[in-house]
Amino acid sequence: MICTGGQFDGTVAGIRPFAVGHARSGKRLLTMISTPAADGRLTRLAVAILVLCFGGPLSGDELSVCAAGSAETAVDTFRDFLWPAVVSRKCLVCHRTDGDAKDSRLILQDPQRVALAQRAATMRQNQDLFRQLAAEPSAGASLLLTKVSGGLDHGGGEVLPATSAEFDMVRRYLQMAAAAESPGADPAPADRDSLFDGVSMLSNQRLLRRAALSLAGRLPTDDELAGVQTSDLQQVRDLVLQITTEDAFYERLREGFNDIFLTLGLNGNADATVLSYEHFEKSRLWYQKFDLSHIEDEKERRQAGYKLAREYRTALLQEPLRLIEHIVRNDQPFTELVTADYIMVSPYTARGYGVFEDLKSQFADPEDPFEYVPLRLPALTGRSRQNDQESATGFYPHAGLASTFQYLSRYPTTETNRNRARARLYYLHFLGVDILELAARSSDAAAATENYQIPTMQAPECVVCHRTLDPVAGLFQDYWRFDANFSIYGRRKEGWFEDMFAAGFEGEPLPQEERWRAIQWLGERTAQDPRFATTMVGHAWYLLSGRRPLTAPADLTDPHFEAKLRGWSAQQREIDRLACRFVESGFNFRQLLGDWVISDFYRVDEFTESDPAADRLAELEDAGLLRLLSPEQLERKVAAVFGTRWGRLTEQTAMLYGGIDSQEVTERATDPSGAMGAIQRTLSNDVACRHVALDFSRDATQRILFPDIEPDVLPGQSAAADRKILQTIVHLHRRILGREDTAESAAVQLSLSLFRGVLEDAEQAGRFDEREIYHCRQGLERPVPDPHYTVRAWRAVVTYLLRQPEFLYE
Amino acid sequence: MTTRRNFLRWCSFAGLQLSVPVSAAQPVVDEQTELPPYEGPFYIVFNASGGWDTTMLMDPKGVGGINRLFAAGDILTEGNLQYAPTERHREGGLSNEAFFQEFGRELLVLNGLDYAVNNHSPCSRYMATGKLDSLAWPTFAALVAACRGPSCPLSFLTFGNYSATGNLVAMSRVPYLPSLRRIAVADGVEGNAKSLYHDDFALRRIEQTLAERRSLRQQNPQLPRRQHAENMLYAAQVNSKALQRVTPYIPNEIPKARLAQQAEIALASFKAGVCVSANLSIGQFDSHANNDRDQMKLIPEFLEGISWVLHRAEELQIRERLVVVMQSEMGRTPDYNSGEGKDHWSIGSAMFLGPKIAGNRVIGRTDERQFAAPVSAKTLKESETDGIRIRPEHVHQSLRELAGIDQHEFSQQFPTGVPQGERLQNFWGSADQADG
Repeated sequence: MICTGGQFDGTVAGIRPFAVGHARSGKRLLTMISTPAADGRLTRLAVAILVLCFGGPLSGDELSVCAAGSAETAVDTFRDFLWPAVVSRKCLVCHRTDGDAKDSRLILQDPQRVALAQRAATMRQNQDLFRQLAAEPSAGASLLLTKVSGGLDHGGGEVLPATSAEFDMVRRYLQMAAAAESPGADPAPADRDSLFDGVSMLSNQRLLRRAALSLAGRLPTDDELAGVQTSDLQQVRDLVLQITTEDAFYERLREGFNDIFLTLGLNGNADATVLSYEHFEKSRLWYQKFDLSHIEDEKERRQAGYKLAREYRTALLQEPLRLIEHIVRNDQPFTELVTADYIMVSPYTARGYGVFEDLKSQFADPEDPFEYVPLRLPALTGRSRQNDQESATGFYPHAGLASTFQYLSRYPTTETNRNRARARLYYLHFLGVDILELAARSSDAAAATENYQIPTMQAPECVVCHRTLDPVAGLFQDYWRFDANFSIYGRRKEGWFEDMFAAGFEGEPLPQEERWRAIQWLGERTAQDPRFATTMVGHAWYLLSGRRPLTAPADLTDPHFEAKLRGWSAQQREIDRLACRFVESGFNFRQLLGDWVISDFYRVDEFTESDPAADRLAELEDAGLLRLLSPEQLERKVAAVFGTRWGRLTEQTAMLYGGIDSQEVTERATDPSGAMGAIQRTLSNDVACRHVALDFSRDATQRILFPDIEPDVLPGQSAAADRKILQTIVHLHRRILGREDTAESAAVQLSLSLFRGVLEDAEQAGRFDEREIYHCRQGLERPVPDPHYTVRAWRAVVTYLLRQPEFLYE
Repeated sequence: MTTRRNFLRWCSFAGLQLSVPVSAAQPVVDEQTELPPYEGPFYIVFNASGGWDTTMLMDPKGVGGINRLFAAGDILTEGNLQYAPTERHREGGLSNEAFFQEFGRELLVLNGLDYAVNNHSPCSRYMATGKLDSLAWPTFAALVAACRGPSCPLSFLTFGNYSATGNLVAMSRVPYLPSLRRIAVADGVEGNAKSLYHDDFALRRIEQTLAERRSLRQQNPQLPRRQHAENMLYAAQVNSKALQRVTPYIPNEIPKARLAQQAEIALASFKAGVCVSANLSIGQFDSHANNDRDQMKLIPEFLEGISWVLHRAEELQIRERLVVVMQSEMGRTPDYNSGEGKDHWSIGSAMFLGPKIAGNRVIGRTDERQFAAPVSAKTLKESETDGIRIRPEHVHQSLRELAGIDQHEFSQQFPTGVPQGERLQNFWGSADQADG
């Protein structure tokens, strides 16, 4: 039995305007979404919106979460300083309802795990509790201070040595709290100013260029630029939403998400590591028997066979990324990343799953290896009955990306790892939690291993992570095979481990009857977890900026700690605001990108204030995009500006230029090395060489670099000639650098000086060939003589522009 | 009324303030056409990624079931060093016997190194940077490159392992030897120095205009990221000219062994004076299953790679300027699990070799259950009274001192946090100790 995954028909998009436009009230929204929904997914989504964005009755303050200005930072000492610097790092790991100190009186709530609109109230509760306990004396000292320094038999021992900066920060805070005039009031009233005061933002036109290049690898059209001449950012956002319907955007989307999930980095041939022998023995090698007998020439036939295998494997590797594309392309809620009850298959991969004949009619071109349609896979049938997959529905329990064979194979388990690596990656990818960071504090792991029978369940320093990690590892328990080529699905013969915390999620145990669909069960909870939305906002930022959201500064001894914390806090608020809008939009990823593009964080351009203080610089340490373009992005930019790709930033050169292979090298270079500097020089030399004479060889109406000038126009010839030269430089600055420099600007004057200088030098040299060099006069539409050296001088100008940060960075 | 500013002022009174500069590194740009070569010392950090079994190398046990391949009586010695016998068990590579016999007199062994935790990611970071709880700290290799040769085009080479730079220096990945040759002459058509894209005068003008453009931009305050990006970009392009010096040292034949392939790139770059440090790494040491089989394949491969580097460095006449650090992110448990494997253990070892490092010495010890014995920072002897647990930050403090960069502003920007009283005195020893 085969059933294709249905499309989400836009019902959610239909409710969005109502929710945003009319229902700025929890009650109204609740009424609206309680209408019986025919589609179960809508119900789930509606509940998710309710839970994530509002969580319950709303106050006026809470409703302002989505609307808050991105750079506005009302500073609150507890929330913005003490919490991120000390309490969330040192106290929260144990002092929470599912933590080791769950029986203590100090039970804090993690604001990241409550509805976005309720975070402020949660933080206030934390603050009140913290101060209440702090006020309790104990032998003349604060109970809280005594405990954190290991006194009064504190279960966690000495968490903050009395000599540490963290301890002192808590002490000072509590002193101030005690001295505050009205009990319960914030000891440090909010200051209000903007992070980006004194920083200019990109004009809408430059912003559009940045977004179009980033998302679709093209320059904006004249019409598009004309459409954003006002200061209305909404116009830019609207255009960005249009741009994100282009095919080039989906290529970028897939590329960006592979940078995050790295599923292309599977080891070995995908037909063996995605489709196992145990469950796809008869179909996975279909290409080996594919009839190519119509190709008479043996060599050609062999080559066609290689191509078939290659494309099949590529198509298999692409499936998870095509799932993401499908969700975004169809404006389906991005929660499907963890809940989609289907996978994407192409005609080639459908053959591998053994379902092609049933699906054939759904493909526009059944021979296109890269046309994908949704598919609900039947429950797996093993070579032996014991390896048949249990399923209450008869289908494989898909749960978006996490249950794909590619994800499971990319992040395999071992007998001793017990799915913990998978669980760690799941937390990182979908909930934004790096569990290992919880453990990043000095302890004595060796002693813990020796002193406890089951350290992961008993030793406090181990339990900190394992209480969270192991239940999720347990949810992957039915994927208990260690050689993907043989099998990925399979249960442990002896039953799941009892010396691990039982399968579940964040304190909620997995019901036995849900075991067969445990990853689905996890996905549903993930989608409703507020951290999912903020994590996706972070992923969107990564896609746009190449950087992950900031982590809170931890070094209290840093003299710029306050400033850095302020910068981090401002970004956190913006992420929360966008997460709220993301949820409101029905988890529409396209709209999330639009929101990021018009956010101050993406639009930051330059300082306008003079002589900024060191603190101000620290505060703005991460401000501004300034992303070194990846090899793929740089190729696309060359194509956008010059009409064709350079074509050499591939394979080894791409790796040398900071690219990734998704296996061994998984982080892109952020700063250019000398090797990359050399490649930049080669690129600028070669691209200028290919395009300058070529452009002059075209009809003027077809030119992209020199539409208004000919090689015989020389400086000083006439005022008109000088004007043309200047206009050409202005045009080149706009086209290559995206700068709106005027003819009088220093930048244009420098380029002019280069052009003139090269001509003068050539003249002084006396003799030169009256043609471009051999390599640069290939492929011209007609000969372009260079008797005055102007073509080569223009080439020098283009080379110079190509080496500048405005071209090489985003 | 108490204000936020008052609170922060209080914090500063409380000693929370140090005069640490915030600014990002300003890469050194040498605008001369011929950058003077960096002459050394050079630093190679070998990393056994995944966690090596130190009891099969420099900290042999042979008791309590810790090792199954040999008993306590089989343990071998070379000078003051003890090592596990592996000649009979190795699958390829170089045995401990051969390695210690040849290099023992130069080796400083640190046993009982305490990583505090036992997960790959934090441990790798901790061992590479000396800082457990921050993602911001640079690795030692990156730090020494930034301090000693920031203008070298391939100042810090990495082939894996944790490689954070602290934004002090660019990280270079050169995965294949031939690619070095391709980029060596960037201004020549197809890398041909005799066929340049631009006439000399045009190229000079381009470089000059780029420099002027840069100084024009710097007349106004810039956002930190922009400033950093422009500096790094400019330095990368200008300093890349020195890459042409590498060409003569690129061998025609590419070695087959994993470490040798990486090392050949690093050594050619050292010899050409365009590189200060390199992280070399091979993985798969994480032997949760079949520990002995895996470790007996990988440790000999690792040692063979180190030996290859030292011999090749000798051929290139840079051996006396080469500092070698041999490490892993963790050790392995004293017990075997049910799969014949060993799991993560937070106690391990490291080895060092090179100029100013007195060899034939062992610092630290583990007991019969593979727990670290405390070591006096002052005497480097085992001490129950004033002993400390030697952790990665102690090693990094010593490495910084060895490299003479412990007072450098970049080191100050990323302090090890080791109190004066815990700094390992005379860790690197003196010449007369070598024969101990």
